This record gives sequence, C-alpha cells and structure tokens, in this order.
Amino acid sequence: MPEHEQSPLLRLSGVSKSYTMGEVVVDALKGVSLDIFSGELAVMLGASGSGKSTLLNIIGGLDVASGGEIFFHGKEMTAASELELTSYRRHAVGFVFQFYNLIASLTALENVQLVTEIADNPMPPEKALGLVGLESRMNHFPSQLSGGEQQRVAIARAVAKRPELLLCDEPTGALDFQTGKLVLEVLEKVNKELQTTVILITHNASIAGMADRVIRMRSGEVYEDHRNTQKRHPSELEW
Amino acid sequence: MVEGKPGNLLIRKLFRELWHHRAQMAAVAAVVACGIAVFVSMSSVRYSLEATRADYYSRYRFADVFMQVKRAPEYYRKTVERIPGVASVSTRIIADVTLDVPGLEEPATGRLISLPDYGDGPILNDLYIKSGRALQPGADDEVIASQPFLEANGLRPGDRLKAVINGHMKELRIVGMGLSPEYVYEVQPGAFFPDNEHFGVFWMGRRALESALDMSGAFNDLSLTLSHNGGEADVKGELDRLFKRYGSLGAYGRSDQLSNRFLSDEIKQVGIQITFLPSIFLAVGIFLINIVLARIVAVQRPEIAVLKAMGFSNRAVAIHYLFFALTPAVMGSIIGSVLGAWLGKGLMGIYADFYNFAHPLYYFRFQEVVISVILCVSSAMLGAFGAVRRVVQLPPAEAMRSEVPKMYRPGIFDRTELQKHIPVSLRIIVRNLERRPWKAALSVVMIASAVAILIAGRYSYDAVERMTEVEFTEKHREDLTLLFNDSMPVSVASTVGSYKGVLEHEYYRDEPVTLHYRHRSRRQTVRGLASEGGLQRLIDSHELPAEGLLMTTELARLLNVVRGDTVEVEFLLGSQNRRSVVVAGMLDEILGLSAYMDIKGLHRLAGDGGAVNGAFLRIDTSRAGALYSEFKSMPGVGGVMMLKALKKSFDDLIAESMLTSTLILTIFACVLAFAVIYNGARISLSERARELSSLRVLGLTKREISVILLGEQAVLTLLAIPPGFLAGIGLSVLLALSLSSELYRLPLVFSSYNFLFSFIVVVSVSLVSGFAIRRRLIRLDLIEVLKTRE
Repeated sequence: MPEHEQSPLLRLSGVSKSYTMGEVVVDALKGVSLDIFSGELAVMLGASGSGKSTLLNIIGGLDVASGGEIFFHGKEMTAASELELTSYRRHAVGFVFQFYNLIASLTALENVQLVTEIADNPMPPEKALGLVGLESRMNHFPSQLSGGEQQRVAIARAVAKRPELLLCDEPTGALDFQTGKLVLEVLEKVNKELQTTVILITHNASIAGMADRVIRMRSGEVYEDHRNTQKRHPSELEW
Repeated sequence: MVEGKPGNLLIRKLFRELWHHRAQMAAVAAVVACGIAVFVSMSSVRYSLEATRADYYSRYRFADVFMQVKRAPEYYRKTVERIPGVASVSTRIIADVTLDVPGLEEPATGRLISLPDYGDGPILNDLYIKSGRALQPGADDEVIASQPFLEANGLRPGDRLKAVINGHMKELRIVGMGLSPEYVYEVQPGAFFPDNEHFGVFWMGRRALESALDMSGAFNDLSLTLSHNGGEADVKGELDRLFKRYGSLGAYGRSDQLSNRFLSDEIKQVGIQITFLPSIFLAVGIFLINIVLARIVAVQRPEIAVLKAMGFSNRAVAIHYLFFALTPAVMGSIIGSVLGAWLGKGLMGIYADFYNFAHPLYYFRFQEVVISVILCVSSAMLGAFGAVRRVVQLPPAEAMRSEVPKMYRPGIFDRTELQKHIPVSLRIIVRNLERRPWKAALSVVMIASAVAILIAGRYSYDAVERMTEVEFTEKHREDLTLLFNDSMPVSVASTVGSYKGVLEHEYYRDEPVTLHYRHRSRRQTVRGLASEGGLQRLIDSHELPAEGLLMTTELARLLNVVRGDTVEVEFLLGSQNRRSVVVAGMLDEILGLSAYMDIKGLHRLAGDGGAVNGAFLRIDTSRAGALYSEFKSMPGVGGVMMLKALKKSFDDLIAESMLTSTLILTIFACVLAFAVIYNGARISLSERARELSSLRVLGLTKREISVILLGEQAVLTLLAIPPGFLAGIGLSVLLALSLSSELYRLPLVFSSYNFLFSFIVVVSVSLVSGFAIRRRLIRLDLIEVLKTRE
C-alpha cells in the first residue's frame, strides 16, 4: 500500500499515559508515535503489561492520554469531551473483546440491532450476521451460543455500523485453536470486503502472520514497526 | 498461613467490606431503625400512659363507681358505706352553670363540683393544685379552676369571673389552678371534643355550693372506691336499687366514665400501633437483607472458595457472612431505639397536652431495647438464611468458577407483537423483569408497602376531615346550642325564640332510657328532634319517621336488633314508663352511639306532655353580642355550646397530633421506599455493570444506559403504585377497624389528594434514588469492567 501518498486515518504523536495505582505511579505508555492508515490490518504484539491494551483503549476513546496528541482524520482527539468520545465510539469505532461482552438478555440479532438502531449508516443487522456466518442462529440468546459463535456475534455487532476502525483486544484469547482461527478469518474478511481498518492486539505472535503491518511493544514503547511482506491467510496460521 | 489470628483477618475483611457497602447497609439499617423507632416509641408511650394513669388515679384516689342522682339525702352515704365491697364513699354536689368570663364575648359553661369542707369524710377524685392555694374553709366565693380552662382563657389565680348559679349572678374568685383524675379528658357533657375556652371545671366548697343551690343535706353525685374483693356489678346493682327513686340514671364503673374511657381507648390504640407498622418495616428489612446478602455472596464466590481452601471452617465463613446481615440489623435496632426514645418523649408531650395529667411521666425502658435487638437479630438471621446456606453449601472448587451465566429464553413478551415496536435497549428492561419474576414481584411488594404506609398515613387525615365535615357542617346548621339545666316544659322554653336576633330555633329532648331487646339491655339517651325543623339533621339525609326509633348501626349491633324489631324503652326519669317501639331504621354515625325519634313521638311515648332539654339556635351574627349577654344571665340555662368554637378547638388540637403522626409516617415511608428502590438499583448495577459498560463502549451515551438501568426501577415503581394504593386502602380499613370503638368509628374515606400525594412522594423518592445511582453509573470504569471475566 502506498502509505506515504495518503494521510493517515489515525496519527499518534508522543502519546503517554500514567496511572496512579494506589500510591504508585505507573507509566503505561511513554511517548508512543504511530500512524495508522485506512484499510490496514495491523497486529500489535506485546507481553502482558507492555501497554498495548492501554494504547488500544486510548485509540478507541475509552480512555484519555496523559500527554501527546491523537488525530483521527486530522481532527485532534486529545481534548475531546466525554460526549465527543461517545459519539466517536458510536459512529467511527467498533470493538471486539476477549470476553465478547454480549448483552445476555438480547438475542444475537438484537445485540446487533442495538448498534444499528443508533448508528448513522448501518448495514442491515441480518447482513452483518451473514458476514460472520451466523444467519441461522440469529434468534438465539448468548447463553445458547458457543464461545466462537458469541465472538462472531460480537464482531457482527462491531462491524454493523460500518466503522472506519475495528479494534480487537485479544479476540481469540478465550477460544480454542480451531474456533480462534475461524474468528480470525472473519476479521480478515471484514478487513478485505469492507475495507475496515483493523487493529488487533495479542500476545500470540503467530497471529502476526495475517497482518499487513506488525507493531511490537515493550514497557510502554513501540520498539518495532514493520510491514509484513509474507501475509498469510488465517487458515494457514499455526500456534 | 493464617494460623493464629484467622478470626482477626475475617473481622478486618468484614469491616472493610461493610464500609464498601455502606450505602446499602445504611439503607437496610434505616428501614430497621424506622420499624424499631415506631415499636420503641409506641411501647414507651403505652407504658408511660398506663403508668401515668395508674399513678394519677391512685395518688388522687380516682373512684371506681360513679352515679348521678337528682337529689338524694346525705344520710344515704352511710347506707352506701355499708354495702359489701365498698371501701369509701364520697358524695358531692355538681352543677353546670353559665359563666361570664372576662375577655370572652360568648357565654361559657362551668361545671361546679363541691369539695368536702375540712373533716367532711374522705376525698375521692381529689384535686391536684398546680398553682394558687386551696379553698379557705367558709369562703363562699372561692373556686379552684381547671388548668385547661384557665390557660385557654389567659386567666390566673386571683382573677374573677361571674356565674349564674340557680338564677343568681355570683362573682367567683379563682384562688387556685387544679387538675383532677376525673377530667383527664375535659369535655362538656354532650360534646366529644374539648373546647377549653368555653368549658371548664371548678371546685367550690361544699357548704357554699349547698347554699347556692339549695342542696343543704343532700347530694346529687356519688362516687366510691371498691375494696379489694368488692364486686363492681353487685355494688352497682345495689346502688341502682337504692337510688332509683332519687332520679338515678344508673351507677357506672370506670369503664363508662367518659374521661377514663377516652384515655383507655387512646391507650388501646397506641397498643395497636406497637405491632402494626413495625411488622411491615421488619418484613421489608428481612427481604432487603435477603437480596443484599445474596448479591454479596454471589459476587464473592471466589473469595468464599479461597477462604474455604485456606482452611477456614464452614462455620467461620458462614458467621462471617451472617455478620453482613447482623451489623445493619443491630445498628438499626440501636438507632431505632434512640430515635424511638426521642420520638416517644415527644409523642408523650403531645399526649400530655391533650390529656390533662397532674404528673405526666415518661418511661423509656431498657427492656424495649432488648426486645428490639432480639427482634432485629432474628429478622436478620431469617433474611440471611438463604444466602448463608449457599455459602455453606458451596464446594471450594465450584466456588472458584464463576456463577452460572444468565440464561435467557424467549418469554411471553417475545411472543407478542409489541416487542417489535420497542427499541432494543428497552427490550433489555422487559427481559430482565421477565427472567426473574419473583425478584421483580418482591421489589413491587416492598415498594407497594411504602405506598400503602403513605396512604394509611394520609388516610387518618381524610377520616378526620370527613368527621369534621359531618359533625360540624352536615349534621348541624345551628350556631349554638343552649343546654337547659333541667328538662323544661315546652311552654316555658318557647321564650327562647322571642329573643331579638334568634333567626331560627328548634328544641330537642334528650331522654335517658334503658333499651331492652330480649336478654340484652343498654342505657342510652334517646334524642327527640323536630322532624320538620332541620337545624340538626341526621347523617346521610336520613328522615325521621313519625313513629319508631332510628339508631346507629353500632348500637343496633350491641343490642342485636335489626330494622323492624320491637324494642322496649324504659324511661329512667319522670313517668318511668316501659313502652314498646319499633326500630324504624339505622344510620351510620361517626361519633358515639345514638338513638333518635321524632320529638313529638318521644313526648307521646314518655307520656308526660312533653319536655325539652335544650335548643339549637341560628342567630343573627350582628346581634350576637347582645344575645350572648342575655344567655349569660338566663335562668335555667346550664351551658352554651358554640359550634364554631368547638370546631376551632378540635382543629387546633387534632391538627398538631395529626400533623406529627402523618409527618413521621411520611418520613418513614420515604425511608422505606428509598431503601427498597436504591438497593434494587444498586444490586442491578452490580449485576449489570459489565453489560452497561459494553453498551457504553458501543457508543451509548450515559443518558441512554441510565434509562436502561433506572428504567427497570421506574417500571417496578410504577407497577407497585396501583397495588400499593389497594394495600393502602386495606391497611386503612384494618386501622379503622382496630381503632374504632364505641366512642367513635373512623369513616372510610379516601381523597384523591391522598393518592396524588402518595404518588408524588414515591415518584420523588425513586427520582432521588435514581440520581444517587446515576452518580455511580457515570463513574463506571469501562476498561476495568470489560477486561475481567464475569
């Protein structure tokens, strides 16, 4: 992808984050600078505590940075109000979590509708579920679905609003190998067919194989950022 | 390992977690405290009233048996003293007179009671002289006046007033202010409510009164005390036999003595309240403890497992969780006891204003606190039972796993068309309610009990309002009632109508009789009213039949008669005829027991040519002053009853006690509603923090997720209001039934204002608790919640 001819979808410049945990100050991010381009599938690798989740939360507008600047489509997000962040999450970002976080009292279809009811230009919820291969399980409640199915509902829910950015935090972390791969295939499909920018964080280095770009983090810093020249289909991954 | 001080660790855990859950614990404690406060205050008030009464009666030798006669020779006292079972006897002269009180335009009524001159036998119904001095032997113009009368009129010992005694105007000097156990509740004969400005009791020397009333060597009032083995019934029977010819209306015991009767009814009513409300509060407390503890245990499953894995015994862990229930319960019982002691003291103050005690005592007994603590501890154990049992039964390995995920299946709601038309976010509310209908029902029941208490609290207001309306407006069109000293022939009395300024007048006859029906009989006054007049009317526009007797339902119940039965009427005075009369109908009155006849029919039945006991007057208010001064000196008039003054005095008197009790009930019901709604929302928040965070991440605003969480509480609150109204009506009916006596029955009336008020209070309380929860909702840590597995 001709990255230098295009302005980035997301630009992070010297982003830092420190927490006070009790009486200890923890520097979770120490000046991260990063450009993410439209349509990229970026895998962010790092051990537990490397700061990758913190970075993802800040990118997703769940958390605010302590320092530095973040631009989305060139618009500065650093000083965004609570309401602007909510609107950003509502329209621009989709989330997929390790533990699915579906609403137990709503069916698969309704979980997706929850988002399509409030988004500006959503796809039909049935179509979103079709994308993840769950048309036949639409009217099931989460407790009636397997883990992999639940995660696919979560992905359908995240992409139904046609977000520009899909953020995935250890999406296969709670799944077995086969189911995990199935979920990764869905993510790849979303990236490819909908041209959605995907940032996927994981501590599983094998997943980097499917990425356009691999970003490695350690102790709150990006220490490696390279393009993956031998991109593989998720079904070819092994771990 | 924790060997050595494991208990200490658990105690530390307990304290920290109690602190963490302080708002919920406080809510539980507050509900318990309200119940206990009512229990303790009402128990203390009852005990204090009983103790005050007992102390007052014994210190001032309140008599056991009373009797009024027309006039009986004094030597009969010796005869009475010889009746077996009689301990001591006191004879008196009592007369009601018209008073001209300085500063009071209208005439007032004074009840003059003779005090034995020095050395003249035992004093029963003795006097407590609060200020001033005792009567000087031989002084014929000295009186001791009752405290309520003096205070209402701003008079003091040393002041003077005029009385018309036996047709002569006499100036009386007030030398003392006193109180007597006989007039703890000081009302004018024929009235139900005190009007202290226009009615007072005066004690005067026997000889002075004898000469003023030409009662030398005679008495018209007798009272006696019984010896320990004295049978009241036998003594009364003997008195009736002895004094029938002297115009006795029958001897009666303390239970029929008006003042004592009012006081005893009051004590009985206080007694009912000891159990009524506290049971509701404690029941809600048990439910609250149940749901709060169940949630704490559910959240702490892994910790329970760790504790067990570390070697803490089931017993130790169970006791640990039991303390989550016991702490708010014990705190509630202590706070409630303190609050109850304080409230009780305040309430006793109100009772002491209402009832005239010489020495009002307030007792707060430690025993009440002990009972409260026992009640609360057992309630807490009951409430905690389910959750603690779960703690014990949880195997450590299973406890390590998280609780079974929430199962949802399509419910009734999903089969309806309706669900398609409501937004998904609101479907969450319906599904949650549908999934645990018992939990929802329990919340509805608890909120409904708060609504019910509010309704019952305001009900007494409505009932009294209705009582006032009936007693002071519907039944009466007169401005005042003239009470004659003795019954007068109609020809004599008719002069009343000739006074300038009297617009309408209407006589009535009050005839003391005994009504007999089969083996039942009852002393009763039959009132004869002019059927065509209409100054005094019967309730619910009942018409007086030309013949026959109308009686109140309550009286009919006591005599076991129904409409159409024939009762025997035995006249106690005059002709002493015994005649049959048909019960022509019944009516539901609020106060007392009454029987009515057309006045002419009553004259015929009595067979005495007709006599009247008083007159109702409607007067031209511009001439009121002149008329009042006429009445003040009118011979034969024993008293004047002013309807407006009676109403004002009633309003003032009732307003304070009513306002206080309604205020207390309203506050307590608010506490109850708040505790239930707040706890419900807190538990929902805890159960659904993760879900709500997910929704926030999906881009729902704080407002939108607040609607989901608080919407559920709002639905529960709204669902609770209609059954709450019904339960409130039920509670009021129970209250009305248990508080009603022969003296009065609370009418069952509910104003729309009552329902509106309860609705507004409950909705406001749920809004307040909603705001309290919203603060927590806003602080929800999205990241923290989502990272963890449920």
